[in-house]
Amino acid sequence: MLAPSAPAIPADGIQLDRGALSAQHLQVFYGRKQALFDVDIDLTPHTVNALIGPSGCGKTTFLRAINRLHDLTPEARVEGKILLDGIDIYDRSIDPVDLRRRVGMVFQKPNPFPTMSVVDNVTAGLRLTGVRHRGKLQEAAERALVQAALWDEVKDRLRQPALRLSGGQQQRLCIARALAVEPEVLLMDEPTSALDPQSTARIEDLLGSLKQQVTVIIVTHNMQQAARISDTTAFFLAGSLVELGPTDAIFTNPSDPRTEAYVTGRFG
Amino acid sequence: MSLTARRSPTPRGLRRRRLRGQIGWTLSGLSVLLVAFPLIDLLAVIVEKGLRALSPTLFTQVTNGISGGLWNAIQGTLLLVVGALVFAVPIGVLSGIYVAEWPRSRFAGLVRFVADVMTGIPSVVLGYFGYITMVIGLGWQFSLLAGAITLALMVIPYIARTTELAMLNIGHDIREAGSALGLSQGTVIFRVVLPGALSGVLSGIMLAVAISVGETAPLIYTAGWSNYAWNGSLVHAPVGYLTYVIWTFINQPFASAHALAFAAALLVIALVLLVNAITRTLLQRR
Ligand SMILES: Nc1ncnc2c1ncn2[C@@H]1O[C@H](COP(=O)(O)OP(=O)(O)OP(=O)(O)O)[C@@H](O)[C@H]1O
Ligand SMILES: [Mg+2]
Repeated sequence: MLAPSAPAIPADGIQLDRGALSAQHLQVFYGRKQALFDVDIDLTPHTVNALIGPSGCGKTTFLRAINRLHDLTPEARVEGKILLDGIDIYDRSIDPVDLRRRVGMVFQKPNPFPTMSVVDNVTAGLRLTGVRHRGKLQEAAERALVQAALWDEVKDRLRQPALRLSGGQQQRLCIARALAVEPEVLLMDEPTSALDPQSTARIEDLLGSLKQQVTVIIVTHNMQQAARISDTTAFFLAGSLVELGPTDAIFTNPSDPRTEAYVTGRFG
Repeated sequence: MSLTARRSPTPRGLRRRRLRGQIGWTLSGLSVLLVAFPLIDLLAVIVEKGLRALSPTLFTQVTNGISGGLWNAIQGTLLLVVGALVFAVPIGVLSGIYVAEWPRSRFAGLVRFVADVMTGIPSVVLGYFGYITMVIGLGWQFSLLAGAITLALMVIPYIARTTELAMLNIGHDIREAGSALGLSQGTVIFRVVLPGALSGVLSGIMLAVAISVGETAPLIYTAGWSNYAWNGSLVHAPVGYLTYVIWTFINQPFASAHALAFAAALLVIALVLLVNAITRTLLQRR
């Protein structure tokens, strides 16, 4: 796609070759209704990728195919392949529960676990999968909260109920919770649409540094946001991928007239 | 602007509406009193006569014919309630969770059907069922186990239903958040959803306790009655309980029997209130 992926440099424990994602002939159906048509896409590790397109075009459907959340919806059916680091995640040998530890997700509405404290929310993905070591948990919590730019605001109230945080803080808490398990890919479904401009700005600022750890795929309805934060932009329309390219090219010189119409606000 | 001005009532219309409102409130207040009065009267009589009959020996001595203390009955009621919970809580909570999480499964349909039928059965019939199957069928005779299991059968549907509602009260988004984090379905249910539903589950259990403390009919044919304190055996030995004292002693033509009956009634009411209070504090702490 963009620059060929760099060779693995295990600096600071960061593996640069993790998080390569591609979809091949991906189709998703809800019962008889088809929501995604033959999507082929290739994403470079450690980039921020924006998904844009009008409401109902299949952006959420695409994200949920990547962490196999469709497995939990009885009427949803997925066809085709999604390769993560070269391995098909829909292969029989792949356990979706393991996969979801490698592919984190942040939802449109902040959804911290209501009975847990701030710190327990962050470490939930580790604690509830058997990590007991206190020091390890603490370390992971602090690291994730720093990454999510929330540490300074909550370091004195780690034991408080998570629901006492503001909406913007709750959303960053959910980002921290996803990061604590050290995923390779982070899916974000309109993560700032319910937030005020300041919280939105903080989350946008995060993304630049996050991509050192993860490949980010973010759905947004905000064209300026997509232009500000992403390296690559993919435009979906009616369940099909219309165009995928470097963000500046998509916004300044798209090759498909439908993309141009959408990004200039002429429809959608 | 003009629209709202035209719609707003004139001072006269306003006054008439206030008057009508007052009449309505007075009438509904009176009807509340009408319903509440017999209840308050009953409570007053029980509290008054119960308090007069209350004495320390009630808690130390066992019933002797129609006099003596109530220790055997107090102990028996507590044992029966605890025994009922031992069966009813795991079965009720687990079936509630199952029905909430797999609503379309065949087992959930079965659970719902059985629960509906069971809540519809009069408790006397349940008692008779316990008599035929356990007291006679299994040869347990009048016993703690037969009484406790019969009570459990009665309260399981309540526990299951409140658990189901409490689980459903936790949003789908929370479950998805758990799954998306890489938690197994079991972990999501038991470590994420259930803790959030716990206050609801607890209030269901407390309701079950209150019902068990106050029931007589299912116990008459299963627990029997005993003048003695519990001898430690689960079967082949009848147990006493407070509601039996109320139910039979009030019909005896002796003042000492009446005193015991009112004391027992007061204790039952106090226990139920206590359970209520505990539930409320548990719920408020969340
Ligand atoms: N569970 C479902 N059952 C049936 N149809 C569904 C389901 N979820 C989504 N759809 C349909 O699939 C299509 C794509 O939906 P999707 O949620 O992926 O759109 P989206 O691009 O995320 O839209 P938005 O920007 O509004 O979030 C829509 O037509 C939607 O109605
Ligand atoms: Mg969506």
